[in-house]
Amino acid sequence: MRGASSKMAIWVLGLYGLYLAAPVYWLLRLALQSNQAILSGERDFTLANFAEIFSNPVWYQGFANSLTYVAINTVISVSVALPAAYAFSRYRFLGDRHLFFWLLSNRMAPPAVFLLPFFQLYSAVGLFDTPLAVALAHCLFTVPLSVWILEGFMSAVPRSLDEMARIDGHSLPYFFFRIFLPTIRGGIGVTVFFCFMFSWVELLLARTLTGSEAKPIVVVMTRTVSASGIDWGVLAAAGVLTILPGLAVVWFVRRHLVKGFALGRVS
Amino acid sequence: MLELRDLVLKSGADPISHTFAGGRITVVLGRNHSGKTLLCRVLAGLAEPAAGGMFLEGRSLAGVGPGPRPVALVYQAFVNYPDWTVFQNIASPMVAAGETKAAIDVRVRDIASRLGLTALLDRYPAALSGGQQQRLAIGRALAKSARLLVMDEPLVNLDFKLRESLQLELAQLLHDLDLAVVYTSSDPRDAFAVGDDLVLMADHGVLQSGEPLEVYAAPVSPAAADLMCDPRANRLPDGAGLIRPEHLSLARGAEDDRLFDIEVIGCETNGSETFLHCRPDGLSEDDHWVARLEGLVRLAPGDRQTLFAPADNVLRFVNPDGNLSEAYDARG
Repeated sequence: MRGASSKMAIWVLGLYGLYLAAPVYWLLRLALQSNQAILSGERDFTLANFAEIFSNPVWYQGFANSLTYVAINTVISVSVALPAAYAFSRYRFLGDRHLFFWLLSNRMAPPAVFLLPFFQLYSAVGLFDTPLAVALAHCLFTVPLSVWILEGFMSAVPRSLDEMARIDGHSLPYFFFRIFLPTIRGGIGVTVFFCFMFSWVELLLARTLTGSEAKPIVVVMTRTVSASGIDWGVLAAAGVLTILPGLAVVWFVRRHLVKGFALGRVS
Repeated sequence: MLELRDLVLKSGADPISHTFAGGRITVVLGRNHSGKTLLCRVLAGLAEPAAGGMFLEGRSLAGVGPGPRPVALVYQAFVNYPDWTVFQNIASPMVAAGETKAAIDVRVRDIASRLGLTALLDRYPAALSGGQQQRLAIGRALAKSARLLVMDEPLVNLDFKLRESLQLELAQLLHDLDLAVVYTSSDPRDAFAVGDDLVLMADHGVLQSGEPLEVYAAPVSPAAADLMCDPRANRLPDGAGLIRPEHLSLARGAEDDRLFDIEVIGCETNGSETFLHCRPDGLSEDDHWVARLEGLVRLAPGDRQTLFAPADNVLRFVNPDGNLSEAYDARG
């Protein structure tokens, strides 16, 4: 009976895995074929699509731009959210619960609402078409999220750890950086993961707040349509390359991710 | 060593005046929520008392923060820095005090050898057993070179067997240090096993203090008698006194023994001891007695027996404040 049900479980999981892997396989297959072969259904193998991306400045500049603003966004979000989350986790002050909920309510508005104000503001102060513009705009969404995730992790650490450090005679900054941050590094990893993912795939703000100079990869990908039709092969190759940074981030935080989802409140 | 002068832990509670002596272990015995943990936090400087003062060797501790205060604290949950090795954990207070690397190294190794942690210096707290983690927490407290060591139910999270072996080990260790030690507990056995002095706490105030045997032999109130009793103290049918479970027996010991005719309710035994649940004639229906008898005793519910108690051990309270009903309400 047990054997039969575990065999069944393997089959179901196998099918599910196949279902999940199929699009990735298809993407990879398209990326390794020329456009002509894709359209005619011939068999073909070429690395020309990847070569195009790595040799054409429009493409690789797009990747560089995206990585730049994602990195800036992640650094700003985590470094701003860490002290905020610590305050929410450890101190009681007037309106703390309300302020905490208000942070989350920022995420209730669709990004489109902020589009025009951001565009006008950034044009006025000369931030338009810079990676910093996109990074700051994304902070509106990633900072509240980071505060929420980190607060969950910090509250899971007993307060007696803070008190112990006070009794030992450590200052608050020393405790925070040398004792507390290593303790919640799993939570920081998960936070980085969420910031990265949001910023990396977000299209609307990234497209509107950039022109030609800081054009992100997601925008470049929407412009593969030309007079001669859609360049499927190059588009698929770009798709494969956009998956890689995400995979890398997951790889680095994979050990904390499971623990992270269990400890943090985000599910 | 440490003198509490009219210290009020919580507004509305009775002020506490007590002196914790150097070189002695004072067990603070009280039930949950009796204010033991708050007392520890106040002593360590983590909480402010509502009123009154603390004087360590004559100097007031008012306004001295937890860091500079020469008081170390060991929590009931073993609090150690999880990402620091055993060595770094013990060294922590000395690092904070800015001592030299060489001095720290010598001192840490000395403390580790005293606590049997030398072989574990490179490990992380998560890799230690419960007893080792607690010894590490004590080691860090020792490294602070405090004059007063406060331990808040230090053994409560350990399993029964380990607890017994550590109890004696700890008492030995603490006696070798020339420190005043405050050791809170809710187990009367701790008072005898580790305590040189005893303080009974209830409702954030002190019921009685003195040497453990003294307090045991002459409780000043029913509440004090009940705290030093495991299981609870039995109320006499006339309501004016208490008799401890261990003082009841099935055999007459002396000519002037007090006699109680009882009806058996049930027996619990572990072979070496039997807890006899019974009701003496005249006791109200909602109350019952527990007698702690030696050896294996088998009695059926409904049996009638006579229990004997030495006359000296029947506790009578002349103090009019020692309201008996209060003692029973507090028992819960």
